[in-house]
Amino acid sequence: MTISVEHFGRTYGELTAVDDLSFQVAAGEIVGLIGPNGAGKTTTLRSLAGILRPTAGRLAIDGHDLATDPLEAKRRLAFMPDEPHLFEYLTVEEHLRLVARVYHVDDFESRFRALIDELQLAGKEQSLPGELSRGMRQKVIIACGLVRRPTTLLFDEPLTGLDPIGIRRMRATIISRARDGAAILLSSHLLHLVEEVCSRVIIMDRGRKVADGTFAELASRHDLVEAGSSLEQIFLRVTGHDATS
Amino acid sequence: MIWPSLYITICSFKNRVRVRVRRLREPRYLLGAIVGGAYLYFSFFTRNRGARLSAARRAARGVPAIPPALAALVAAGPALAALALLAATVLIWIVPGTSGLLEFSEAEVQFLFPAPVTRRQLLIHRMLRSQLGLLFASVVFGIVTPSVAGFTRLRISIAMWLLLTIAKVYYAGVTLARSRLASAQTRARRVAWTPVAVLLAALAIVAAALMPVLSAPVSSTVEYLTRVSDLASRGAPSIVLWPFVTVVRPLFAAWPQPYLNAAAMSALVLAATTVWVLLSDRAFEDAAHGAVERRGSEPGPKRANYRVRAGGWSLATAGRLEAAFAWKAAMQTMRVVDPRSVARVVALLVAVTAISQSLGRGNGFAATVGLFAIVATGVALFFAPQIVRVDMRQDLQHLELMKTWPVAPSAVVRGELIWPGAMITLIAWVMLAIALIMSGTVFAAQAWGTRASNAAAIGIVAPALIFAQLTIHNGVALLFPAWVPAGGQRPRGLDAMGQRMIMLGGTWLLTALMLIPGAVGGGLVWFAARPLVGAAAVVPGALVAAVIIAIEVLLATEALGPVYERLDILAVERAE
Repeated sequence: MTISVEHFGRTYGELTAVDDLSFQVAAGEIVGLIGPNGAGKTTTLRSLAGILRPTAGRLAIDGHDLATDPLEAKRRLAFMPDEPHLFEYLTVEEHLRLVARVYHVDDFESRFRALIDELQLAGKEQSLPGELSRGMRQKVIIACGLVRRPTTLLFDEPLTGLDPIGIRRMRATIISRARDGAAILLSSHLLHLVEEVCSRVIIMDRGRKVADGTFAELASRHDLVEAGSSLEQIFLRVTGHDATS
Repeated sequence: MIWPSLYITICSFKNRVRVRVRRLREPRYLLGAIVGGAYLYFSFFTRNRGARLSAARRAARGVPAIPPALAALVAAGPALAALALLAATVLIWIVPGTSGLLEFSEAEVQFLFPAPVTRRQLLIHRMLRSQLGLLFASVVFGIVTPSVAGFTRLRISIAMWLLLTIAKVYYAGVTLARSRLASAQTRARRVAWTPVAVLLAALAIVAAALMPVLSAPVSSTVEYLTRVSDLASRGAPSIVLWPFVTVVRPLFAAWPQPYLNAAAMSALVLAATTVWVLLSDRAFEDAAHGAVERRGSEPGPKRANYRVRAGGWSLATAGRLEAAFAWKAAMQTMRVVDPRSVARVVALLVAVTAISQSLGRGNGFAATVGLFAIVATGVALFFAPQIVRVDMRQDLQHLELMKTWPVAPSAVVRGELIWPGAMITLIAWVMLAIALIMSGTVFAAQAWGTRASNAAAIGIVAPALIFAQLTIHNGVALLFPAWVPAGGQRPRGLDAMGQRMIMLGGTWLLTALMLIPGAVGGGLVWFAARPLVGAAAVVPGALVAAVIIAIEVLLATEALGPVYERLDILAVERAE
């Protein structure tokens, strides 16, 4: 398993953001992590990225525990947050160059050009973040994640701020990375995106996992049969927001 | 537009006060408020009362209220302040920057730019918005002025408010004028260059009159100050310096008639400056939009004005990771500090040093430059590590990104220290070199060998001292992130001031403790070598001290690695 979450928990003072969460994501799999606001999705992703420390449980990337072997775990993952925090004083190219240095990317020059073209950043190489639109900054963050070859990709609302062409390309990028063998965990409120690209979905609510499976598995669950095959209906039903429930 | 502006200003003030009062429920702010309040009370009110009692006792004994040198300084006050203002005005034109009056908040951009408001109204709005800060600064200045009665404090506060407001408005005018210097229209360009030409002519006149004063031998400080004072009251310099003297005179004028006259004249200068700026409203749009663009579309606290400049240092994709952090910080510095401005300042330093040296020793100018270099060296050694925050203190706001990097935590800590340490060390060395060149004037009684040895010792110890302080500052940022403002944040208020004082005291105490082993080791070597090499013994002593401190710095960065690893980003202080 590439991503392994075992009995993960995280509290903020008195508030329990995530409680006893367990799941795995295999190589080549794209798993959607969905849930209402405050469900604990971002906390889970940020903990998997090594930003937050878990208060309970074990998180591992490619078998490397994030608590005991953080460097090896981090070397294998790329986290694309929903809010692009960039260094205001580094250009697009310099961001990628810095990441290449940190992750020891040998073939940076060739990868750099390919990524710039793939993410439509051509002509913006020497721009500072302050000169870029939000969508462009999001693309820079994604480029920083893809400039190396991570085995694990964590996306938090990857389409925020992208234009229709960017959204289309981003979808293709996510699918192609999974085909190349990366394990992908994707959090989004755009259920149609999750339906389109994910092979499995995990639904969280108030810090707990309330559903986990392929669309077919969820649709055939006895308590969800009435919800139909639409992810939106399944989501509303398991989170208790379905008007009919 | 005036009423909406007042409404925004008053509501912002009211809500800010409410937030600050509410945050006193947190112990760190309450403690800060207590320390800040105690500092203000004991520093100013108690001290001032003591100073007044002491003055009364001196008067009863027939002793002059103030020493002759201080009396001469007070008499020369308007002239000295006017010269300083002239120098500041020249610097404003030389060093590129944007007036705070043209820096709009995100909310102002979103609410006022699309609103049916004229450019002039926007400018007036910004002037009104700046008044709270200026009034506060003026009142604080009035409070901290020593040995004066309550009414005098009020007068000084008013005088200071006039001075600060004129400076603020003038700076906005300079920013607007500067944007028109390269205008495509010849007439607009000519108009924009006029104030520059006038200022240069003024500078030339004052410099020509000042050079003989500075180069002539002086027998006492009083004589030197009297000469400078005379300069501003006679001939062409008096005409040139008139606006500057007028602006500062209320600070020194006696009550009632001289003060009222001076304040009226100062208000006249304020009115003229305001009219000049309001007439520049056509340029305002370009400058305001430029400021908005530079600010970027990211929400958050005020950001530095970064510009892409070729740094000549491209990061290789292989190598030690500490160097990557140093490169990152270097890029930041190069994108804030214009190399042309640095070149101008260096050229100015070299010119001033050369001129003062060529004038010979024993003159006021050489002594002034020497003293300035010594003070600057001291500031670089002891205060710059506190002020220059191109390190973890800045990067606390980028933890979300940095924590995902597979970098050994101790390498992160070391990497964060390298660039600011190297930069401050270089500045300290340059200032030290100037101080050494001028040391014959300031320390005339000491032999050249002694002065050179002392300078060499300071130069050797400088990097160790600077890196030690940076290590402490960064360590404190990692251990107590909630107490350290991240990035360019500048929390305000009595509680924030108290917090800063606690942190400053703590870091200085820790630095002193960290320096003890080096000082002891270096002292022993100096003691042992002194009979053999005399005054030069400070050099090996400094070398040993520097090595010991460097080892301590390395050990401290290793120890701070796990602290960085454990650091929770939720503990980092967010913008107010």
